Amino acid sequence: MALTIPQRPPVSPWPFVKLKLRLIAGGLRGRPARIVLFVLGVVMAGLFAIGGYALFAVPGVVGDERAAGMLLQLGGSLLVLGWVVLPLLFFGVDESLDPARFALLPLRRRTLILGMFVAALAGLPALSTLAATLGMVSTAAALGGSGAAFAELAGVVGGLLLCVALSRAVTSAFATGLRSRRSRDLAVVLFAVVAALLGPLQLALLAGAERADWDAFAVLGDVLGWTPFAAGWSVGLDVADGRLWAVPLKLLIVAGSLAGLLWWWSATLEGAMVGAASNGSSGRTGDVGSPTGLLLGRRLPRTRFGALVARETRYWWRETRRRAALITFTVAGFFLPLSITLNGGSGGPAAAFVGLLAVLALANQFGYEGNAYAANMIIGVPGRTEIHSRAAAHATLVLPLLLLIAIAAGATGGRPEHIPGDLGLMIATYGAGLGLVLPVSVRAAFALPPSTSPFAMSSGGGMAKGLLTVGVMLGILVATAPLQILAFLLGDVWLWIGLPVGVAFGCAAYLIGSGVAGESLDRRMPEVLAAVTPGR
Amino acid sequence: MTVPAPREGEQAAAMSLHGLIKRFDTKLAVSAVDLEVPAGSFYGLLGPNGAGKTTTLSMAVGLLRPDAGRAFLLGYDVWADPAAAKARLGVLPDGVRLFDRLTGPELLAYHGLLRGMDAATVDQRSRELLDVLELGTGNRTLVVDYSAGMRKKIGLACALLHAPRLLVLDEPFEAVDPVSAARIREILQRYVAGGGTVIFSSHVMEVVERLCSHVAIISDGVLRRHGTLASVRGDRSLEEVFVQVVGGRTSTGSELAWL
Repeated sequence: MALTIPQRPPVSPWPFVKLKLRLIAGGLRGRPARIVLFVLGVVMAGLFAIGGYALFAVPGVVGDERAAGMLLQLGGSLLVLGWVVLPLLFFGVDESLDPARFALLPLRRRTLILGMFVAALAGLPALSTLAATLGMVSTAAALGGSGAAFAELAGVVGGLLLCVALSRAVTSAFATGLRSRRSRDLAVVLFAVVAALLGPLQLALLAGAERADWDAFAVLGDVLGWTPFAAGWSVGLDVADGRLWAVPLKLLIVAGSLAGLLWWWSATLEGAMVGAASNGSSGRTGDVGSPTGLLLGRRLPRTRFGALVARETRYWWRETRRRAALITFTVAGFFLPLSITLNGGSGGPAAAFVGLLAVLALANQFGYEGNAYAANMIIGVPGRTEIHSRAAAHATLVLPLLLLIAIAAGATGGRPEHIPGDLGLMIATYGAGLGLVLPVSVRAAFALPPSTSPFAMSSGGGMAKGLLTVGVMLGILVATAPLQILAFLLGDVWLWIGLPVGVAFGCAAYLIGSGVAGESLDRRMPEVLAAVTPGR
Repeated sequence: MTVPAPREGEQAAAMSLHGLIKRFDTKLAVSAVDLEVPAGSFYGLLGPNGAGKTTTLSMAVGLLRPDAGRAFLLGYDVWADPAAAKARLGVLPDGVRLFDRLTGPELLAYHGLLRGMDAATVDQRSRELLDVLELGTGNRTLVVDYSAGMRKKIGLACALLHAPRLLVLDEPFEAVDPVSAARIREILQRYVAGGGTVIFSSHVMEVVERLCSHVAIISDGVLRRHGTLASVRGDRSLEEVFVQVVGGRTSTGSELAWL
């Protein structure tokens, strides 16, 4: 037997990019629905690119340096934040290149990280961000000539690299935290910190906007310009202002944070490659009562419905994707209304938005457990029972949270009299959301990759999830608009009738939607199963 | 294990497939399969990987909608009257599709209650099954953390819990250790002796030869041979017949010389 060990060839990141593009193309072949989604994604990315470019180029066209400073630094910071928050909340991360797939290949970590990073850059979000931020280069060129333009170009590229690295590192770290059962509390804290980073910025923005205090904005922008959030975006303006000494310093800030983020990402990637090794819980035995008692606890009825609700409730905590969705909702749900009411804003729209956020986790509810739904089909669970049980399990977790959020928002805002009305609006939105999302979850179910990361999306899956989310949000806003208007018009009367009216509205919407969803599921069970089975 | 007595006038066929066809994109996965599984038989469905065994069984139990053809379980049309057909059926699906974030006892309780059984019966039978299959009545490990063999066994326990008249098992012996395989074989043989019908897919000849009263050989989505074991096998070994029917390639001895 002649075994030759080949010389390790120098590995460049290009094979990763080619692999990713080929995976995307393979995922599209022969699937018209995915092609439509992909084209929609291209169109939306194009719109974002054009809109962003136009916005960032405006200060250059009008020649306003002060506006340029504010817009580039504040807008750029928001862009960075968007790259952190949007994947966590809405889109997930395109994981066509699942790190676990590379675990057995003789690749050095450095090569792997570089390859995955470059592959992540070769995507619609990164390309459209780059196109949008080129508007900053045009502004810099108009204000400071070609030297400023070159500096700004370097800054923009650095900023984009930072965005992508930050997004990857944060989702990977959060996923690692969620995966191990021991450190999931740590993950909650981590996410709370990320969310809290949003806090000061948002508060300052709102405070400034309220007083039309542009000086505060300008100061905030200049401060951010010395943080990784906006250091890259502002170098062109420094050149235009003659502060040449600031350019190397700011580029150093960007490069340093980039290196740190890549190091952080590579540290958490190790865990993702090894996969979800079970720990702690295996092999625990003990005398623990009857099987039905274990499943149902003491209170749930010993029936088909009880068993379905019990299984579903357990899954919201034991399955990482669902746990991630639940934690994300909890943090966002508390943070959003608090930040608005603390600024003296009206609680109504925020309340409606919280109810809406709660329901989004159900938009692809059949995708969560992969093909395990086959077990229910073999037994022949009727569609209506299936839908009602899933909604009931979700509601038992979410309704208490909504109550807590309403109380917390009302109490901190110093307007406890608004609590019932806000709660009514939340429940109305939640009910209307269920009524809309349940049929969608039957019609538009899609498979999630069997990855260990709760944010992983197959190619095109992120687009599907994002579009689904945006569509559902718009639908819910339209459906609850009459109630919002009513609450606004009635003023103080709403404080009294808000809760009963909201509950009635929510219940009615839920009954209609769940009926439609149940019937649709009865007709489409095999199709739903085929849609959520990974790898078909 | 108790198996309910057959109903008066129940058809002889426990499973009866008529012209089942399934197409994936352009590939014809199953083309016009006709199969009669007599009640009380131990039926082995043989075929190489990708032959269409799982696709056929999925259509037969109502998991995959056929493009054409009909499937009857114990005389009930699976696609027209699913509730009646499914009530008397136990299935171990391929890849063991289970709600694997539950523990073994929780999963059994879930299946029992979904089948509409009362809690006392569910508890009693679950304990017995967990004990007989050596899964541990107090085991609080999630099924997702089970070994492959344990997953097969808990899947089998879920399929047996409501004492079905017909068992459809996809690769029940794959990745199962010899001790567990012997235990599963023993349980299935007792079940058939008690009047139940088993149909299972496999590509392990020895198991099929040892257990089955009937076999069917499927390849490229077409049913090549079927009937009693003796009639299919003739005077040769089942493996010889299988390789000949499926058209396996014979070695010339010259390939892979560099090995």
